[in-house]
Amino acid sequence: MIDKAYLIQTGGSAVAVGVLIALAAWAKISKPAPPLSDVRARALFADEFPGKALDSLWVTVDGRGALARSGASALVLCEVGDGYVARHIPWAQALASTFRDGVLRLDLADIAAPKATLAFDAWPPAGLV
Amino acid sequence: MLQAPFDPVALAVPFFVLAVILEIALAKARVAHAHYETKDTFASLGMGFGRNIFGVLTAGITFAATIWVWSHRAFTVPFGAWWGWVAVFFLEDLTYYWFHRLSHERRFWWAAHVNHHSSQHYNLSTALRQTWTGGLSGTWLLWLPLAWLGFSPAQIAIQQGISLVYQFWIHTEAIKRMPAWFEAVFNTPSHHRVHHARNPRYLDRNYAGILIIWDRMFGTFEPELDAEPPRYGIVKNLADFNLLRVAFHEWIAIGKDLAGSRSPREVVGYLFGPPGWSPDGSRDTSTMLKAQWRAEQSRRDA
Repeated sequence: MIDKAYLIQTGGSAVAVGVLIALAAWAKISKPAPPLSDVRARALFADEFPGKALDSLWVTVDGRGALARSGASALVLCEVGDGYVARHIPWAQALASTFRDGVLRLDLADIAAPKATLAFDAWPPAGLV
Repeated sequence: MLQAPFDPVALAVPFFVLAVILEIALAKARVAHAHYETKDTFASLGMGFGRNIFGVLTAGITFAATIWVWSHRAFTVPFGAWWGWVAVFFLEDLTYYWFHRLSHERRFWWAAHVNHHSSQHYNLSTALRQTWTGGLSGTWLLWLPLAWLGFSPAQIAIQQGISLVYQFWIHTEAIKRMPAWFEAVFNTPSHHRVHHARNPRYLDRNYAGILIIWDRMFGTFEPELDAEPPRYGIVKNLADFNLLRVAFHEWIAIGKDLAGSRSPREVVGYLFGPPGWSPDGSRDTSTMLKAQWRAEQSRRDA
């Protein structure tokens, strides 16, 4: 049998959680997340994949992600909240991924980040060697 | 004494709530440095709330095991003896250090602990991003020797609660450094920011609960450098704020790896190897990431 004190404590905690989330939303104090520039994307890739040279870089049209080629790998960067999530997949897989309505859908094969969607004008990018 | 006469964590909950409100208010007023993102705050507080529910599932077993061991104790530490409280303070904190180190350096226990590190923020709500599967991972077994030594289940529970309450306030960027003597002895916001950072320099460092002396003694201490601000989160960050993903993603990943295992060595490696272990070395462990980082540093310096 669940005791009364536990129920009161749980109910009170639920109310407090709701109030704190509402307060955080009202305060609007998340980290600044302006659209990515080439420079910022390169800096983020350098943090995420130290030592990996970028052969080519494409920033999404909405500035909320980027994709880079590094040898046989595609390095992927996607906005999540006011931060980013990064993964790498084989370049050939990125090249063959579905592109529809201006959105590239990448299967990252990772339960922590199953897929990424990146907005581009075209894919594969024009002029790709 | 079996049942603790009070629960430090339950008593501290109103303080937790007020402290988060204060941190948000000071950040809003630009008096203190703190960032809160709404979905991230939801995930952190949701995990803390869920812990109340999941904790009940294993609390009975943990309590019963502690009582059983205590009933076979080697000595008896009187509940009211001052020296008993001094002893349990140090011994519980030492136990916490090894629990925490195990929870980072071996994947099975990392799976239960990773959720606490999965926020890319570092604020007081991050402190409440607690595990749902800690009880199932069995790390509570590490505290049983204290009961065997004669500390009562109530005394152990109270000291565990004090440690948890202490560790709340260090999850903040609002406090830069404490006085030098305090930084030398106690775990502080600065030391714990290092622990939550994913910069290769800072990985797997500063496991302390209350006292930082254990890290200094066992070689896992790393100071926070102003020149290298911590980047928070995990090596491979989560792509969303789904509570089920936060709580269970590493367990599911272990399950997938085990399903694809081809030998007992691989099973043991996937379960009890360091996080990031793989049979062919194609994934990165903390040790490998640190080595890559050092090589990159050397290349730049050359």
